[in-house]
Amino acid sequence: MSTPVTLEQLARLCRDAEGSRGPRPAAAPSGFAELDARLPGGGWPVGAIAELMSDAPGIGELSLIVPVLSRLARAGRHIAWIAPPYLPYAPALAQRGLPLERVLLIQTRSLQESLWAMEQALRCPAVGVVLGWPAYIVDRNVRRLQLAAAAGGSLGILYRPPEAARESSPAALRLRLHAAPDGLAVEIHKSRGGRAGMTLRVGVAVA
Amino acid sequence: MSAGLWLCIRLPRLAHEALATTAHPAAAAGRSADHAAIDHAAIQQSAMERLAAWAYQWSSLVSYRLADGPLLWLELGASRALFGGYGALLAKLTAGLTQLGYSHACALAPSPAGAALLTQAGEQRCVTTLPQLRLRLEMLPLALLALPPEVLAALHSAGLRRIGQLLALPAVAIARRFGPAASLYLQRLCGTVSDPRPAWRMPAVYRARFEFDAEVRAATALLFPLRRLLLEFQGYLRGRDCAVLRFTLQFEHYRHPDSAITIGMSAPARDAAQLLLLARERLQALELPAPVSALRLQALEFTAASVLQEDFFGNDAQQLQQLQLLLDRLQARLGDQQVRGLALEADHRPEHSWRFVTPQQSTAVADIPAAARPCMLLQPPRRIEPPALLLSGPERIESGWWDGGDATRDYYVARAGDGAQLWVFQDLAQGDWYLQGLWT
Repeated sequence: MSTPVTLEQLARLCRDAEGSRGPRPAAAPSGFAELDARLPGGGWPVGAIAELMSDAPGIGELSLIVPVLSRLARAGRHIAWIAPPYLPYAPALAQRGLPLERVLLIQTRSLQESLWAMEQALRCPAVGVVLGWPAYIVDRNVRRLQLAAAAGGSLGILYRPPEAARESSPAALRLRLHAAPDGLAVEIHKSRGGRAGMTLRVGVAVA
Repeated sequence: MSAGLWLCIRLPRLAHEALATTAHPAAAAGRSADHAAIDHAAIQQSAMERLAAWAYQWSSLVSYRLADGPLLWLELGASRALFGGYGALLAKLTAGLTQLGYSHACALAPSPAGAALLTQAGEQRCVTTLPQLRLRLEMLPLALLALPPEVLAALHSAGLRRIGQLLALPAVAIARRFGPAASLYLQRLCGTVSDPRPAWRMPAVYRARFEFDAEVRAATALLFPLRRLLLEFQGYLRGRDCAVLRFTLQFEHYRHPDSAITIGMSAPARDAAQLLLLARERLQALELPAPVSALRLQALEFTAASVLQEDFFGNDAQQLQQLQLLLDRLQARLGDQQVRGLALEADHRPEHSWRFVTPQQSTAVADIPAAARPCMLLQPPRRIEPPALLLSGPERIESGWWDGGDATRDYYVARAGDGAQLWVFQDLAQGDWYLQGLWT
């Protein structure tokens, strides 16, 4: 007698089989102990999307993720920057231990192209982190990107305006970032599998 | 004697099925009948050339004949061991022909004429030895013989019905009664006399052309015929054991000059699926100047396929291949200049201490500046009001006349009202302030 298997069951079996071959860490340590202590799995969600909503550009929103970029890049994964608002400055990235040969800078002409490029990069197992700055993104597209990140085992970082916090989003992790005297105030807005609503000080070294 | 082993493919609908349409090829056959202007002979010829190139991946001796129903032969003597037996090879060939959209009948025999005849037999179309072939032929009707109609009619009126009855007659008697050509054919059929076939020669460059039976207006509608074209191209590349770094798609238009796109890759490739993926990205962005009447694929340069395997083993290699695939896709859709890497440049001026490179390019290590630098740079610096709050500095950076600009700048970290930390400088010659970076 054959056992009926649903698609979900099949997907779970495939995931389990993959896990038994070599467990893929569900989280990548952020490099900030105070933050890792509050994140499920102890770090950034690998295979998912994290949204960072910064009050203003230039308060340390990139410094917060530079340690994970460097760590994954040194482990051989590439870092894809999709249409950043300013030029990622090579000497600064090198100073922070990011191997430049792992940096991919992708320029686009439209939001649609940016989303497409993000999805492609997230799906690629050779890419560790994909950074995007979409001016506007609907839930359906966040979900798409999340599926792509799950398929590629990569981390997607979406920089979104502070107003985005008013809307819901399927992203696994959503953080609001505020400038603080000694670094960054990180408010956990949503955390799948963790607790939300908490604000913590993270001592990012900015300048 | 060893006549080798021949696989023959009969392609009864080649001319119709070769006429590419945007629909499934099955739909093409019916429609094309209305188009009297279409040169079926030329289409059949070019389709057979492409198929011969495709078939070359399985045999180094390929031959074809177009008159009296298109036939394609592959000599398989040496290929058997390579492909896990005849059954596996036949399955691959049949699947490939179906994928290309060609109706076909295959047969295997130790003589080319025997294999051709067996493609018309209902069953038992594979024999591997001459005695087996003779036995199989004896049972089949005379009408299957590739002899002139008047000869067949004469045999029929003489009361002969099966090939076996004819083969039982002495060869001399057959030659006397029906001519030496008929006798020679029968001996070649049975494999007792050699039957040299003109070997198809692999062209040094690849050129394939598809004619449409209707105008194609949308670039994406070219995908279906293109898939077929690339599958045949993949066969050619396998046959030559090589790969390509670029190929060109040319579009013929009605009353408009041809247009073309060239698709390039960062690493040699020959996988049809991969090539199609890249072509699709380009076609999606393509504005056709006029409806397309024919599509041509051209590849002039080839690289050794060994490069394909050499670099790609193990985990790192697999990752490299995946990355290359990603880069190819991004560049195909966005443009080469939109996908870049970063490198340091040995220059103390902040805006000149970096440069764009092609992705993954390893560069000579330049010195990393000792003083802290911000992660994001404004290109060019933006003129600002003098900042209210300076957190640290100055760091003096001078450039002399030898740099093309005699300027002295004092750099500071400043804080904006919203908490952002800025990298600013004052041009000491003019006194103006500029924002050059963000400490993000």
